[in-house]
Amino acid sequence: MQVAHSVLIRDVGMNKHVMTKWIAVFVFSFCMFSYSNAGFAGDELNCVLCHKHRGLSRIDEDGKFRLFYINQELFDSGPHRRNKCKDCHTDIDKIPHEPARKVDCMQECHMVEPSGNIKFSHKTVEETLHKSAHSPLDEDGKPKPHQEDYPGCKDCHDQPFYRPFSFYKGELKAGVSKRGISRCKGCHTNGDFAEDFYEHITTRLRKSRYPMETIKSCAKCHQDPEFQERHDLDDVVTTYMQTFHGKMIALGSEKTADCLDCHVVEGENTHLIEGKEVITSAVYKNNVQATCRTSECHEKAAAQLASYQTHVTYDREKYPLQFYMLVGFKALMACVLYFFLALIFLELLRRLFPCFSFIKDKKQDDEVE
Amino acid sequence: MSKYDPIVYKEGKRLFYRFSAHQRLQHVVLFSSVLILALTGFPLRHAEESWARPLYDLMGGTELAPLIHRAAGTVLLALFVYHTIYWMVLFYKNHIGKLKREKRVTIGNIIREFFSQEMVPNKKDLIDIIHIWKYLLYFTNRPPRHERMSWREKFDYFAPYWGIPILGPAGVALWWRDEFSHIMPGIVLNAAYIMHTDEALLAVLFLFFVHWYNVHYAPEKFPAATVWLTGYLTEDEMIHEHYADYVRVMIEQGLEDQIQPQHFGGKEYDW
Amino acid sequence: MNLFKKIVFKLYVIFLMVFTVWYGHFMYPLIFGFEGKEMAAESLKDLGEAGTDHEKMFVKLISEHGKKSVTDLGYKVIDQPYIEGRFHHIGFPIEPDKASLCVSCHGNVPHDNSKEVRSFLNMHAFYVGCETCHIQPKEAGESWRFRWYSKENGDIIDNPVALVEIEDSYKEDAAHNYPTYGKYGAKIAPVIQKGSELVLLSGEKEKKFAQRYVTELGNLNSEQKSQIKKVIHQKVSKTPLQCDGCHQEKDPYIPYAALGYPPRRVVELTNTSVVGMIEKYKEFYIPSFLSPGVGNE
Repeated sequence: MQVAHSVLIRDVGMNKHVMTKWIAVFVFSFCMFSYSNAGFAGDELNCVLCHKHRGLSRIDEDGKFRLFYINQELFDSGPHRRNKCKDCHTDIDKIPHEPARKVDCMQECHMVEPSGNIKFSHKTVEETLHKSAHSPLDEDGKPKPHQEDYPGCKDCHDQPFYRPFSFYKGELKAGVSKRGISRCKGCHTNGDFAEDFYEHITTRLRKSRYPMETIKSCAKCHQDPEFQERHDLDDVVTTYMQTFHGKMIALGSEKTADCLDCHVVEGENTHLIEGKEVITSAVYKNNVQATCRTSECHEKAAAQLASYQTHVTYDREKYPLQFYMLVGFKALMACVLYFFLALIFLELLRRLFPCFSFIKDKKQDDEVE
Repeated sequence: MSKYDPIVYKEGKRLFYRFSAHQRLQHVVLFSSVLILALTGFPLRHAEESWARPLYDLMGGTELAPLIHRAAGTVLLALFVYHTIYWMVLFYKNHIGKLKREKRVTIGNIIREFFSQEMVPNKKDLIDIIHIWKYLLYFTNRPPRHERMSWREKFDYFAPYWGIPILGPAGVALWWRDEFSHIMPGIVLNAAYIMHTDEALLAVLFLFFVHWYNVHYAPEKFPAATVWLTGYLTEDEMIHEHYADYVRVMIEQGLEDQIQPQHFGGKEYDW
Repeated sequence: MNLFKKIVFKLYVIFLMVFTVWYGHFMYPLIFGFEGKEMAAESLKDLGEAGTDHEKMFVKLISEHGKKSVTDLGYKVIDQPYIEGRFHHIGFPIEPDKASLCVSCHGNVPHDNSKEVRSFLNMHAFYVGCETCHIQPKEAGESWRFRWYSKENGDIIDNPVALVEIEDSYKEDAAHNYPTYGKYGAKIAPVIQKGSELVLLSGEKEKKFAQRYVTELGNLNSEQKSQIKKVIHQKVSKTPLQCDGCHQEKDPYIPYAALGYPPRRVVELTNTSVVGMIEKYKEFYIPSFLSPGVGNE
């Protein structure tokens, strides 16, 4: 949901003293370099002079809490660490600065993509997203209703982290392996080059986010009852979390399927999530069996495994089998358990008054039956 | 028929024979596997609860706990098959054998013999159920006099006999889901899921309260009954729970003159 | 059977009866619960399409307090508060000032008037008590000095060790050393000597007044409310302390060294980078910057 908030740009008579300001900025920045303390490679302007403070924050005019603190350690833990602040926040070229504009993830940044020797951009992601169910435009290129519900980058992604691992002894171990990196550093001695590539590549060899985080990011919209109503959708997240797939992930497994495993065709860009009525979709009725049987999932299964129902609501019309089975079991459980509970309760009560009775038995206490 | 004496004396007190070592061992295997199954199954059933993850991690985590669960399930299924065979052998030896010797092998006699077994429900149980309700609602001051197996014990005994046939196959289908899909459609797994999780809930809720009340929480048992270890009941317990059987055993052993009157539930605690 | 044993028996039976009833209650949702837990704010639905963004935000804020974002990297878990629309990670829980009475009404992010510098002022509010700038202790007429107080319970505490860690970060392996500024769990505030004890200048009396005011709010008429507000804020000075009160080389208002700031940091704060920044700001935002909070709204 891309809630466009007003960007605060006020006119404070900036054109005056422009030259003096520039000279001062230059001198000032130079001055600050000598005091720049952390290895924050991308911070040419020494933005962290202010942004390293934990309390740098305000409440915006639209009521949003804005925290401007940058955790350098966490920033340095992801692929964006090779970017300068200015690569994304392009409108900021001096200190102090006006409220920054919203970052456009589609812009080309200063990094050069090595395979094609072209400047890097997330443009292809947007193009893919626009082919998917999450595109804000319909087939004719017209805006769909409820524009604000269609996701932008930040609705699913916060700043990405590397999630490196190794399996030197056969067992997957999270983090950068000293053994592994030592093999790289034998030749690639310069700077953080080896670390970057090691972390980048190993992160890509598995899910870059823990499955539960993926599910949570889908849940942000798909579990919102108001959102479901607007788009006539089921509560797919809740129903998914009731499957063994969801439960295992909730308990920390990365082996069972999360949303993306079933809703993206194997080998496709993960941003290409299509509705179940689209013929190329991973969950189109004829494609489900192939999706279940993709590599590393139910490879050995037969096609008829696909008749398994994932998003089950206990709705009499839609899922009669589950509904009646559940009603049956619940009735059985209630009868058995509450029968014995009542029996035990009365038996305990009887122990408080062991000899009381409305009708005294004619037989004597010691009489043998 | 048995190498066990119906009554033994220990420190001057009478103890009444209930279960052989073989049966006690089967019970140990049964409850160990059920406990392990519950501990490795319920965190998964209630994965969204805050206690689930720590408990599951304690039970081996997502890698090991499913293996433990399946191993314990296999043991339980094996026990189920073993016990059924054990029971059939006993039935053949003690009942069919008797009929054969007496040359009275007819369908009717076999059925009659079947119902004469101590753990099979019969008419006396129905009478006892009505009787206990009369007693609990204060329409009589005399509790029922149970035979060797009371109707509640029979219910406990047959609970696995309906639970395992539901839980076991469903568990096996969910375990070997890929292989099963070649003979069954995937929707069977939806059914198996409900069967496995709901029947397990019933079993666990029943065991942890009703069965544990009978053997742990009840005032005369607290903190724990010992018959599952020793195989013998005390005279008090016999009088309290199996008065009809107590009287029968005492008469059989020629101790007719020493038969004690029936207890009421805690009559000695009356004011 | 002695009486004691009988009583214990009956009590145990009654306990078991309570346990039985509890168990019946405990089982009910397990047996009859069809749905999983609801994660979204159900009350948002009441507002429907008609609700404005602000109304929706109000309901969301009320219902979703304490929402967190947890990222598990396998080798470390990053547990932080969830701030909608935030891209960069925070990596720590935002510690509230539980001790300050000002904060209990005005919140952790109190500055809003001077648009140009409010973020900076809020940044200071993370480790500088409100009284430091908003009460002029000279008027208190007593001997006073600056000390740190704990955000947790308001106790006067020793200088935070985190300040020394900042100094250490200059030294070795600077490339992979990330000091965090403002992670002190304490704030600087003026204190006065009362008998053998040091107490906060903001004082117990004002605290009691304000607490009473909050509890009695429903019983007061509207004029009384305005009157009392005036009384509570009586000590608050008209013009707050300005940036260059502390960020100046000669005789800064706050005695940094005595409060545990390492020498190199003191130089930064009173001389080079920070003072330079303030100069820069003055130039950039002339004239409003000179007097934040005065005549701006």
